[in-house]
Amino acid sequence: MAGLSIRSITKRFGDTEVLRGVTLDVADAEFVSLVGPSGCGKSTLLRIIAGLEDPTSGEIEIGASIVTGTRAADRNLSMVFQSYALYPHLTVAENIAVPLRMRSLSAAQRLPFVGPFLPGAKEQRTEIASAVQNAAEMLEIGALLDRKPGQLSGGQRQRVALGRALVREPAAFLLDEPLSNLDAKLRVQTRAEIAQLHRRLNATFIYVTHDQVEAMTMSDRIAVMMGGEILQCDAPSVIYEDPNDIRVAEFIGSPKINILPVELGHSEMTLFGLVLARVAEASKAGVYHLGLRPEALKLTQAEPMITGTVAHLENLGSEVYAQVALADQTARVTLRATPAERHSLRLGAQVSMSFDLQDALIFDVDGTRQRRVEVALSNEREVA
Amino acid sequence: MAVIDAPVAARTSREVNRQARTAWGLTTPALALMFLILLVPVVVAGVLSFTNYSLGNSSFDWVGFKNYDRLLSRSTYEKMFIATFTYVVVVVPVSVALGLGAALLVNSLGRIGDVYKTIYFLPVMATLLAMAIVWEFMLHPTIGVINQTLELSCGTFLEAIRFFGNGCADGFPLWLGDRDYAIWVLCFIGVWQGFGFNMVLYLAGLTGVHRELYHAAEMDGVKSAWERFRLVTWPALGPTTVFVVTISCIRAFQVFDTVEAFWPQGGGPNKSTYVMMFAIFEKGVQQNLIGIGSAITMLFLVFVMFLTLIQRWLVERKVHY
Ligand SMILES: Nc1ncnc2c1ncn2[C@@H]1O[C@H](COP(=O)(O)OP(=O)(O)OP(=O)(O)O)[C@@H](O)[C@H]1O
Ligand SMILES: [Mg+2]
Repeated sequence: MAGLSIRSITKRFGDTEVLRGVTLDVADAEFVSLVGPSGCGKSTLLRIIAGLEDPTSGEIEIGASIVTGTRAADRNLSMVFQSYALYPHLTVAENIAVPLRMRSLSAAQRLPFVGPFLPGAKEQRTEIASAVQNAAEMLEIGALLDRKPGQLSGGQRQRVALGRALVREPAAFLLDEPLSNLDAKLRVQTRAEIAQLHRRLNATFIYVTHDQVEAMTMSDRIAVMMGGEILQCDAPSVIYEDPNDIRVAEFIGSPKINILPVELGHSEMTLFGLVLARVAEASKAGVYHLGLRPEALKLTQAEPMITGTVAHLENLGSEVYAQVALADQTARVTLRATPAERHSLRLGAQVSMSFDLQDALIFDVDGTRQRRVEVALSNEREVA
Repeated sequence: MAVIDAPVAARTSREVNRQARTAWGLTTPALALMFLILLVPVVVAGVLSFTNYSLGNSSFDWVGFKNYDRLLSRSTYEKMFIATFTYVVVVVPVSVALGLGAALLVNSLGRIGDVYKTIYFLPVMATLLAMAIVWEFMLHPTIGVINQTLELSCGTFLEAIRFFGNGCADGFPLWLGDRDYAIWVLCFIGVWQGFGFNMVLYLAGLTGVHRELYHAAEMDGVKSAWERFRLVTWPALGPTTVFVVTISCIRAFQVFDTVEAFWPQGGGPNKSTYVMMFAIFEKGVQQNLIGIGSAITMLFLVFVMFLTLIQRWLVERKVHY
């Protein structure tokens, strides 16, 4: 087990720059998720860490030694591939045993007919067999050990691929969208298994996914990647509640955060002409973005801040999401309501909403978070 | 209910019948052609192999197993079997191994690979009959390039090797005219001509190897090229290999044009290259002994059938790919 550090990695394929100076430090035994939209370079970064691809520039350090020139087989990492990559001619047991056979048996001991009779081979082989058995039981594929990958379902193959990675104790585990092909139920189940495994093995994990629920539920920290850069790497709650960038705020959270344009004058902030707050300190005037999570919006009768008509309803049982088309505006906002409030939400119904300015995130036009403006706003409220 | 059901059932069964009749009607031309073109000739050959028929004769006698008996007892046919099996046993493994090796090398190259691919495939595309003339020139005992090149070694350290020593003293082999060498020359040309084809088949097989498997192997600690080949490439090429071996076997059993070009009379020095196809041609066409020719043909078909069955069995065993 060891920590990892990735230092200003860039990667170019011809003219296209896929990674632009990615820097990330992963502590020993930490679980870090890499999330981001399709094509942002997650797999490429993972493959560079693994050593399957060379970076154009930058360095990778595993456990305190720089491994940039080291070949993948010598980096002592385990990887689960997006496509499983199981050996089709080997049984499940043989598949899981491959990394152990390759690393603990000598070339002579691996020979097909003579190998098993060489000195020391027998003990090694029984050791490998019991390690395989343990890994299989942990992943509940003990009954499948004699099957070939072609005879397994997608979820079972997934677990075999995990088993092959987890049978060893490498410096770190690299998982590339390991749950992407599972059905919803199996995905939740395997997600829990992986999280449990992480706690039990106390190992370093780098987990690539484009599913933010996976990232939110499993990780110690989430690194949000976009366009070949890491925008923010923080604990899941920080990423959700306190994003540094409007792209992070928009990517994390489902349904998406509501973004509304606000105008900051010399002494007040207005939303669609309505004065939201007064500002004492002269902040930079101009147009800003106001980010509001769906749960920050509340239905209200008195003193509404925004009004509109319900355009679409999604009832999830425990909660209701309503898309509200704002009056006189093209924008829509999403609102989360409790089932108790459902009666007032009917398609086409008029609703009035308000929110607490404290729950709002303010970004400038470039998308950077403006914490100073937020502080100025809340100071003003305290004074008032 | 029953009252309603009965006519419905009758109607459906009539419907099914009509469909079946149409289906048979539509398949009939194909079936007829298959029988006429593929099966009837085989059956005719099988029947003729029990007769002493000659083309042009108005009648023939049934001779029972006499033709087959002759095949198994005469020394000419013993030589035929020896020549054929030597050829198959040498050419198949060597051309398959060379084809695989060439495919792996060509595959590991980038652009230049295409050039090699074309060069290795040239002998396959060229007519063997035309190429045979070139080989005949090269193998000529006195003015051929090969013996002239070998003679350059005379007077050098190479003479210490027995082959060169003897060659310099008594003259280098006659190649096509030498009964010890003729079959090996035939084999060599067979390999030269055939391995390009196997290479192309293997190249096609290699494109089907999942690239990520190599990466998985690397992550699993596979470091040497040999281990990588054993763990990923060779198993993935299993179905291709079965196919390549079968095709090579059948092609090797069918060798004819080289023999016909080099030794139009009688199948090489001392019948050392008297292969089956040539025997069929000589007996059945040149000497008009249709009965014996058919018997050899039947034997040939049995070998090929046997190979095909082995191939099917192997492929089915690997169905879980
Ligand atoms: N070998 C290559 N040659 C050229 N471009 C490549 C190559 N491999 C990847 N890319 C490009 O690099 C970018 C990042 O690819 P990558 O596979 O890392 O995406 P990803 O973040 O894993 O996406 P996904 O979530 O869809 O798996 C993509 O735009 C892709 O087109
Ligand atoms: Mg990917």
